[in-house]
Amino acid sequence: MLEIKDLHARVGDRKVLDGINLQVPNGEVHAIMGPNGSGKSTLAYVLAGRPGYEVTGGSVLFRGQDLLALAPEERAQAGLFLGFQYPVEIPGVNNVYLLKAALNAARKHRGLPEVDAFEFLQLVRGKMKLMQMDEAFLSRGVNEGFSGGEKKRNEILQMLVLEPALALLDETDSGLDIDALKVVAQGVNTLRAPDRAIVLVTHYQRLLDHIRPDRVHVLARGRILRSGGPELALELEARGYDWLLAGETA
Amino acid sequence: MIVPAPVLPTTRDENWKHAPLRGIERLRWAPPTALTQEARLAATALLGDDPPQGAISTRIVLIDGLHCPDLARGPVGGDAAGVGPGVAFHATDAPAQPGAATVSIDLAFAGLNRHHRQGELRIRVPDGETLELEVVCIALSCGHPALRIDLGARATLRLFERHIGATGSLANLALSVQLGHGARLEHARLLQPADGARHFETLEAVVGADAQHRMIQVTSGAAATRSTALVALEGAGADLGWHTAVLGAGTQTHDAYVRVTHDAPAVRTEQGFRGIAADRSRIAFNGHMRVTARAPGAHSAQTLRGLTAGAAAEIDLRPQLEIDIDDVRASHGATIGKLDADMLFYLLSRGLDPATADSLLKWAFIADVIARLSDPAWRSRFEDALAPLLPGAHAARSLT
Repeated sequence: MLEIKDLHARVGDRKVLDGINLQVPNGEVHAIMGPNGSGKSTLAYVLAGRPGYEVTGGSVLFRGQDLLALAPEERAQAGLFLGFQYPVEIPGVNNVYLLKAALNAARKHRGLPEVDAFEFLQLVRGKMKLMQMDEAFLSRGVNEGFSGGEKKRNEILQMLVLEPALALLDETDSGLDIDALKVVAQGVNTLRAPDRAIVLVTHYQRLLDHIRPDRVHVLARGRILRSGGPELALELEARGYDWLLAGETA
Repeated sequence: MIVPAPVLPTTRDENWKHAPLRGIERLRWAPPTALTQEARLAATALLGDDPPQGAISTRIVLIDGLHCPDLARGPVGGDAAGVGPGVAFHATDAPAQPGAATVSIDLAFAGLNRHHRQGELRIRVPDGETLELEVVCIALSCGHPALRIDLGARATLRLFERHIGATGSLANLALSVQLGHGARLEHARLLQPADGARHFETLEAVVGADAQHRMIQVTSGAAATRSTALVALEGAGADLGWHTAVLGAGTQTHDAYVRVTHDAPAVRTEQGFRGIAADRSRIAFNGHMRVTARAPGAHSAQTLRGLTAGAAAEIDLRPQLEIDIDDVRASHGATIGKLDADMLFYLLSRGLDPATADSLLKWAFIADVIARLSDPAWRSRFEDALAPLLPGAHAARSLT
């Protein structure tokens, strides 16, 4: 699904990724953990094509395609979804319109006709029920006046409607209370499928109690320092990151 | 006729610094003396055949300032546009002299209108009555349309006013409004002159005690527009809502000066402006709020926002407060920026193409002006009118 080789990137003059190597096969859930400022969100932005994040070396294959050669919207249309850590508010643009426009953009890319309005609303209502969201959210501006938790639910709602091949979820658990975390995790888990992959960027083990990862990676100083199974997250929870960073320095 | 230069302002005059005045002394200001069949046909083509969904049942059409009964809709009499006894087109007997009644340079174009106008559409709503009306002003060559609105006590007028026209046309509108005690005017204005057209207008309004004036206006098109609005809140508790959006493109110039005089106790104003300047267009808005010593407890709020969407585009926003009394609440702010990069990336990351994302965000920028239209049918008409410029206007419409 995703193959990153020796990826380097910078923002302005600052080097932010320093040789990332990562493979995420179909059907797997990978968690990327790491201390603040380690480059986790940067990696997500680079993969999604955010302007200002300049790739200075390496390659990224997404479903066999050169991801870095694609514009941000082309990456999305090809099946990549970024769940934002801080989703922006866009007053004046309806949630329901954004959902439909995004879905139709993906369908067009796959050579499918635009979704019928009735069929679309049925689909969205089903996903909203799963995310325990009120339908009133549909007619509001994108994330306008939403609480932090509502914004995160809205991100997952978009993901469920779009059914991406690869979901990059950047600290989806931040700002969520326990109940909201369970709802969001449930939403993510329903997307697990043999032909999909999910990459979770997180600080905490607690999200992984609800979404069990196949692999855990520790990212620090712009590189993957260690990879392992779910037990690595438990070890990080118990020991922190210092022992890994110290080992790296030594 | 050629108008003597001293009558008209220049960009050296206060409040006219950004006005599109270059070459106006050479324009042909004299209107046609009568409506020809050719003009009727041209106007018919501009109006289109079918009334839009939610259209107001009563419509009056002025072509180059002259009443055209043929294009009226609804219970409109054939002689003088009688929509009941209070609405009629009155032909002018004798023109005023250029500038004869002008007391201020800000009223120069109103003076020009008085000189050239061939009649005036008077809309009078008696005490306690309600009227809904659409007025369409079509500029084909040169016109000086004149509208006078007079609402009695507790009267209500819902007025949808449109300005369209032919390429290269010239219009100089004079609009006067008088609102009686407790009256309410819901005034939607859609100014969409054709490419290359020039549109000048002078609006004078006097708002009486406890009266409400709700004005929502969108301007686009034309080569140049200049709007001068002088509003006086003269009765205690008078309430003004004044929200405008301007879309500039190409080399267009859009300039507006709005002066609101708070001149009675407990009057209030909420003014909003949204301007999007694309390409090499120039937009200027000068919002002048005066609070006199006769207006204790006045409340004035002003929010002006501009969006530059072209490398050579220019926006000039000028909020002005002039306060002669302590007991007043006044706030004002002006910001000019570019499209929000975070919002743009968010939409792109959802697969929207850049053109759609750009259009959606521009629409979102002005959407709160349109959203103030209480009638969904009116909102739809604004969206329809703006769709060719901002496809996001249609796209952003709720599907539910």
